[in-house]
Amino acid sequence: MNTRVVIVGLSLVCGFVPAGCQGDSDGSMSGDGSGGSNGSDDGPEDEDDAEDDADDESEGTADGEGSGSEADESGGDEEEESDTSTQAPACSEIPWTSQIPRLTNTQYNRTVRDLLGVTGLTASNNALPSILLATDQAGGLSTLGWSGYTTVAGMISAQVMGDPTLRENFIKCDPAEETCLHDTIVEFGRRAFRRPLSEDEIERFEEVVAKGAEITPSGAPEEVAEALLYMFLVSPSFLQRSEISSDEDDSGNFVLSNHEVASRLSYMLWGSTPDEILLKAADDGKLETSAQILAQAERMLADDRARDMVVEFHRYYLMMGPGGRWDTAQKDTELFPAFAPAQVPLMAEETLRFFDEVTFSGGSFSDLLLSPVAFVNNVTAPLYDLDPADYGDALEQVTLDPDERPGFLTRAGFLNGYAHSTYTAPVLRGAFITKEIIGIPIDPPPPGADQTMLPDEDFATIREMFEVLTSSDDCASCHRAYINPPGFVMEGFDAAGAIQTVDALSGAPIDTEAEVLIDAVQGPVTVTDPADLMQKIAESPNAMRQYAKKWVGFAYERESDPLDACVVDGLADKMTAGGYTVLHLITDLTQTESFRVRAVEG
Amino acid sequence: MKRRLFLRGIGGAALATPYLSSFHDKAARAAGTVATPPQRLVVFFTHNGCLTNRWFPAKEDGPITADDLAGTYLEVLTPLADKLLIPRGFRSMNQYSLSSSGQGIDPHDQAMGSKLTCATISTARERYATAESLDHTIARQINNTGVDPLVLGVGAASSSIKEVLSFSAPETAFPANVNPQTVYNALSGALSSGGGGEPGNEAGYLVERGKSVIDLVEDDLASYQRLDMSKADQDRISDWLDLLRETEIGVNNPELAAACTRNAAMNYGVTDETVEAASPTGAVTGSVFAPGGGGAEGDANLAISFTTGGDMMMNLMALNMICDTNRMLMLVYPGYVKFGWDGITHGHDHHGLSHRTGDLSVGGACKVAGVLDMLRDIDIWYTSKYLRLVNLLESIGEGDGRLLDNTATMWLPELSDGNAHNLNNLPIVIAGSAGGYLKQGAIVNVEGRQIGVGASEDSCANGGSIGNTGSFNGNVPINKLYVTLMNAVGCTGPDGGEVREFGVFDGTTITPGITNPGEVPELKA
Repeated sequence: MNTRVVIVGLSLVCGFVPAGCQGDSDGSMSGDGSGGSNGSDDGPEDEDDAEDDADDESEGTADGEGSGSEADESGGDEEEESDTSTQAPACSEIPWTSQIPRLTNTQYNRTVRDLLGVTGLTASNNALPSILLATDQAGGLSTLGWSGYTTVAGMISAQVMGDPTLRENFIKCDPAEETCLHDTIVEFGRRAFRRPLSEDEIERFEEVVAKGAEITPSGAPEEVAEALLYMFLVSPSFLQRSEISSDEDDSGNFVLSNHEVASRLSYMLWGSTPDEILLKAADDGKLETSAQILAQAERMLADDRARDMVVEFHRYYLMMGPGGRWDTAQKDTELFPAFAPAQVPLMAEETLRFFDEVTFSGGSFSDLLLSPVAFVNNVTAPLYDLDPADYGDALEQVTLDPDERPGFLTRAGFLNGYAHSTYTAPVLRGAFITKEIIGIPIDPPPPGADQTMLPDEDFATIREMFEVLTSSDDCASCHRAYINPPGFVMEGFDAAGAIQTVDALSGAPIDTEAEVLIDAVQGPVTVTDPADLMQKIAESPNAMRQYAKKWVGFAYERESDPLDACVVDGLADKMTAGGYTVLHLITDLTQTESFRVRAVEG
Repeated sequence: MKRRLFLRGIGGAALATPYLSSFHDKAARAAGTVATPPQRLVVFFTHNGCLTNRWFPAKEDGPITADDLAGTYLEVLTPLADKLLIPRGFRSMNQYSLSSSGQGIDPHDQAMGSKLTCATISTARERYATAESLDHTIARQINNTGVDPLVLGVGAASSSIKEVLSFSAPETAFPANVNPQTVYNALSGALSSGGGGEPGNEAGYLVERGKSVIDLVEDDLASYQRLDMSKADQDRISDWLDLLRETEIGVNNPELAAACTRNAAMNYGVTDETVEAASPTGAVTGSVFAPGGGGAEGDANLAISFTTGGDMMMNLMALNMICDTNRMLMLVYPGYVKFGWDGITHGHDHHGLSHRTGDLSVGGACKVAGVLDMLRDIDIWYTSKYLRLVNLLESIGEGDGRLLDNTATMWLPELSDGNAHNLNNLPIVIAGSAGGYLKQGAIVNVEGRQIGVGASEDSCANGGSIGNTGSFNGNVPINKLYVTLMNAVGCTGPDGGEVREFGVFDGTTITPGITNPGEVPELKA
């Protein structure tokens, strides 16, 4: 290493809060399950803005093409009896949410795809419909927002009526027949509004039909049908995911109607509109009980759209996104000959394939940390010391040595992403593991921490260098206890993700032993190497709670609300008890009171 | 069934509406201003500061001469020097990095969220501003029917606080729209086919369909309005209803709108074809703060968006002014992009370069070779875009003068120096007098003491310094500039007189309260 000045914490966005490390002040660390102790909102938010914001984005807008997730059909529908899934925690105090959120642009795309079969606008170079919609925003509808909806509705209605295949998704009869348009109002209206239309609503659309001659060029039935579709697509009841039932339960919350439950299920598990089976269940009043909802959730998880959702969640969990470390980190190819820039997107894909595979083969949280499954092709094989000649262009599932490569944190995606281009980054790796995976909040470094100059001396190892760099009182309070130790353990891997036993600086042996804080009550424990660390995280109640917390935030579309702590604790308890798969966790998210009711603004 | 006249396009008198009286008043007022062109505020916003020592003329007070501008970035504006106002000495709130003041949150979040709100930002995850931004306050007062401001951008769409400048309500982002096609589609209904702006240029059935849509959607919304919903949800419904009413009323100034034709649009380079060419239909490379596509297609589309796309946005802004569909317009460039167009090819994004390190870390040595040249590339590129916008508005006649004269077209920066993140001594230039309200051809030191041009090249010269600020002077609250601009474009205070205050606070701490109310007389003509 020839540079004399190294910036501590290169990942940290400029801007630091003068505050100490408050990791141990957060109730979530003890995992004691006391409701409301989840004050960890501010911890994870502050340290690394770049990454936090990256996950903001992936939460709302990832398109979730999920390419590749369907390639793996093995065990995709593993649905064991879910006896662990039936006991919902009784958490009746829930956060208030809007009754009328508009579809996000991603949800809009998927909704018109599933409702009408429209995946691209033929009138606009086959672009996704959202490209002509206004930028997502949760406030009042803007002028451009309204214009965008009407423009796209015009394009879609013309496209659907002009294409015999698409047309059947809207209208199932000859519009010239006497009752055809009426029937379509009733039939399509139910699918578009995700509930049966009221008599008033049917009448409103009948009036549109009655004015057919005035509102179309010639009044031809085909034209009137197109105008009718347009009207549905600009209707607030289509554009908003409305929850309007007002039946109060004992806790003062409003119980969702069957159709509202159907909508929550489909937008949570598929990011899209309910299918016919779900609507039928709602029509029949069969989304009342936990067991009924569970049965639907399990059915829906077997659909590829749920695989997209699982991928999307893990992008959110890992803070993957365009411009983030996972998707961009490059290496000096002279120092790391096994590395090639073309590997970076493949590493990200591998990471997501890994989560897909573990989840849908019935894996648990600990399997995420311990599974030896990996996905490689002829480009990425060298990263795992495999022979590229044995692989083709597509990623193939392989099994690595579980002692060397347990779980996702020992895959190239993380190891390469959380490292500098020429040397490892114990601070980046350690902060990510402690904060995001174990779930111990870390405050940002004090002002000027990034300016710390490297002492003018030679170091035998990167570890030693970072120990010295972070040794001042200001730095050490966080780095020594929380950040550096897991990072030092991960020194078992070089900056491109290869296993390393000697340090690049001097050839000195790598020391992967450190005292890592995984549980506040227990205090730091000795961890000998990466596999040992993975084992201990896999068993950590803190890490399980963190994973559950991220799921709750993602699935309920609200970030870390303190009132959700009760639900999070309940899920974490089940994870800790064992025998609990990721799929159990997902279906249990539909079993809470929070899922079945909405709260009144308090 | 309600039956109302539906004017999607041009002409006609303002219609009485049975709904909101304030809304009606605005419409009536707008209709009464036929003889005088309206005044507009146009904000051209760029990120990450600049090399301030190259931006500022040395002169700090007095008439602008060609000599003053020579050698600075602003030299290219010399032909328009007599229409420029360079206010010296304004400071945005919540100075971050040089003291412990402000909220101590990320300086970019703070700069963006507080910039046009003069309020704190939320400590919740999204960190949105806790108050409405200036553009919404102004739009509500001066836009026909109070429609929301036109906030446009380029690059990938983003709702991140790092990229959002506009807030329609506390903690409610109003992100920029980045697709020219979307903006054009919204405007094209207002464009008459020519021949003096006769109403009813659309086929009759479309007008009738428009009425049906409004009736249908209003009825749907009314069914929600009857529910016992939260204030926030009620606002969502009433905003939507307002939009429908705006659509009904349409443009209120027949004289102005007579200029709003497809021919005029073509003259400013706006046709179906050019808009389509300027509007990427696929992935646009984004950033951590603006998820977009990626890959070669994304990079190519990003370049289109920044070049022809951004230029088209300017054309569309001009057209919106001609059609009087909006009087509050903003063009917001994103801050986290790697330049790769117009002969510029950078290996690091603008933000990383502004830190002189090439990445998110701040301070330290000047790590990227040639970084100052790269920053200069970017600064000059943005200057050329501001020049293009100003020239465009100057090229369009309106009333007895030029469209530019009826605007205040302000280049507003996120930061002063990008490495220091300082918010004092902001480099601001305003073109146009807003109908004669603002002083022209002048540099005005509003602080009354020596301010300096900053020292943006120091850290690379001396190594390791977080400095670059160069000057700690230039601390007049920017609220006062905003108040001046509000009066310039015709806003009024709560008592109907001139505006005296804007924002939640004007100090360098976050204590609420306006300690220094009123406009800046020295900036007035």
